[in-house]
Amino acid sequence: MAKKKEIKREERIASVIMTVFSAAYLVGTFFQIPTSSIHQVVGPAVFPRAVGLLMLLISVIYLIQQIRGYAKEADATRAAIIGADEKVETKADIKTMAIMVLIMIAYAFLFEPLGYAVTTFLSFMAGVLVLNRKHLLRDTIVGFIASFGMYFIFTTLLRVQLPAGVLSLLGL
Amino acid sequence: MQQLLSNIGLGFSVAGTPLNLLLSFVGVFLGTIIGVLPGIGPMTGVALLIPITFGMPPASAIILMAGIYYGAMYGGSTTSILVNTPGESSSVVTCIDGHEMAKQGRAGPALAAAAIGSFVAGTFATIMLMAFGPFLAQVAIKFGPPEFFALMVMGLTVVTSLAGRSMLKALFSTLLGLAIAMVGIDMQSAVQRFTFGNLQFMDGIEFLVVAIGIFALTEVFVNICEMKNPKETSMEKIKGGLWMTKEDWKRFWPSSIRGTLSGFFVGGVAGAGAAVASFVSYGIEKRFSKYKDELGTGAIEGVAGPESANNAAAGGSLIYLLCLGIPGSGTTAIMLGALIMMGLQPGPLLFTQQPAFVWGLIASMYIGNIMLLVLNLPLVGMWVKLLKVPEYLLTLLIILFSFLGVYTMNNSVQDLLLMVVFGVIGYGMKRADIPAAPIILGMVLGKQMEEKFRQSMVISDGSLSIFVQRPIAIFFLLVAFLSITNPYWKYIPMGFRKLFGKGSKAA
Repeated sequence: MAKKKEIKREERIASVIMTVFSAAYLVGTFFQIPTSSIHQVVGPAVFPRAVGLLMLLISVIYLIQQIRGYAKEADATRAAIIGADEKVETKADIKTMAIMVLIMIAYAFLFEPLGYAVTTFLSFMAGVLVLNRKHLLRDTIVGFIASFGMYFIFTTLLRVQLPAGVLSLLGL
Repeated sequence: MQQLLSNIGLGFSVAGTPLNLLLSFVGVFLGTIIGVLPGIGPMTGVALLIPITFGMPPASAIILMAGIYYGAMYGGSTTSILVNTPGESSSVVTCIDGHEMAKQGRAGPALAAAAIGSFVAGTFATIMLMAFGPFLAQVAIKFGPPEFFALMVMGLTVVTSLAGRSMLKALFSTLLGLAIAMVGIDMQSAVQRFTFGNLQFMDGIEFLVVAIGIFALTEVFVNICEMKNPKETSMEKIKGGLWMTKEDWKRFWPSSIRGTLSGFFVGGVAGAGAAVASFVSYGIEKRFSKYKDELGTGAIEGVAGPESANNAAAGGSLIYLLCLGIPGSGTTAIMLGALIMMGLQPGPLLFTQQPAFVWGLIASMYIGNIMLLVLNLPLVGMWVKLLKVPEYLLTLLIILFSFLGVYTMNNSVQDLLLMVVFGVIGYGMKRADIPAAPIILGMVLGKQMEEKFRQSMVISDGSLSIFVQRPIAIFFLLVAFLSITNPYWKYIPMGFRKLFGKGSKAA
């Protein structure tokens, strides 16, 4: 039953995060929304405050359910009727995920300085090295098409601007 | 009638231009690919492909998007039948009998039944849209701000009440969407809300950044985690003829018609969505079909009914989108967001102010449905080959498309980082079993909802009673209330029993 415990724990963490976020949002409506100089029947803070309040209310109910060990059976039948998506139950591969997130962040920061085509190619290859390096030749070709090919299609055929980056040095 | 015919004529003249015919084809084609590929559902697909439409006129853009939408709905059934892995939630039921048929060497008739069922339902939904759309728009045009506010509350709650396992979490998700929509400069008071002095937050957070992050990148993370323990799948070959026999046809029609009607009214008009529609239809077949005992062992009814139902539901939810500007599903919410980005305001005025747009879309749906039929049956072998694309390559390509799409929107690196953040949040939500689609619904409707609320308050001079005094508004709000309280109804008789002793039967 270790799995079930794991799920329980995840839900409990989620309920705490939800409550903290809702509370922060609600407090934020008092500090992050200045009062308007224009007189209005309903000012700019009213609607966000109502949303924050409802959000907090729901989070707190959920939190209490988690603490008291809320029965899950009802939800399972509901899901069967609705045909809700299957719940993810495989264990998270935190290490690979973290590496991929780092690649994505690097991708974002290098997007403009190096240009679309080059950064995309590099990120794609980095991803290939992390996930599966058995078919390097084939994947290099796919990566090349997906980066330089797409760059060509978007900039010349669809006329969408993409950063040229280092390609502009080559006069392309 | 005269009016209708001239409208249809107008529609076909718009949809029939070479460019729009091509786009309809491209949409259906890409949609089928998306439907077939595991993991990428219609919602992710439409979100990822919206950036291609940026340079296009609105009519062309929606024709492309609608093509992707029903192409994906259809493509999902192909994998259900052949590989027993549904491409999206609305073809989960199709697996039961569809895959069983494929195992018995009747994959051809199963695929044909799914395609023709989708076609029948799509055509029915389109006809209904033509017949009742203008009428509904006529009614809605008289709505004031309070009615619209109430309508949006109803739209949000009905869809929310049917999303995910837990109503609480779905409601939270909707509210989170509304909360995100509040970021940026408030149009009515010029005050900055939650911008934290950041220049780009002043324009608000683009819904597409959130949508792509929360659907596409989350899918990437899910795939990465699943790569370590790959699932075993068995692919069935297509043996025998593709076409249905006379006997198949005879059994096909009643189920398809039942599926179409139930799907349209339950999934579309009542707003329950395509997945629910397909389940309801399977239930109906189980109860009323002449061959109900064969269901589960490879009966054609189990394919024809649900596949008709999910397409009818998809068509039905387009009616709300076009006539009222209320999305009936996650995918239509994304389409609504895209239309707003293009500067169109979907709603009752659309029918009178943009007839070429509306009727062009309707006509393109006809054309698209025929294209789907032509595209899918003979080429089914090609689609199945798509399943051989290695999962890690697919995952990396999703990342590339996400970055490309989000960047071309505003040329902003900050949007890219925000998208990654939402991808991580989305994965967390998935693990905690919080549905993500309601966020998009909330984000897309948030600004308008607030605006209508504030307009109502101006009319009533700050009194909330305006929502109770207007009959249409109170009706919508009542439906909203009933839809979110329905899990608790069963406690009412229980409560009565407690109050009045054990007079009634125990159970």
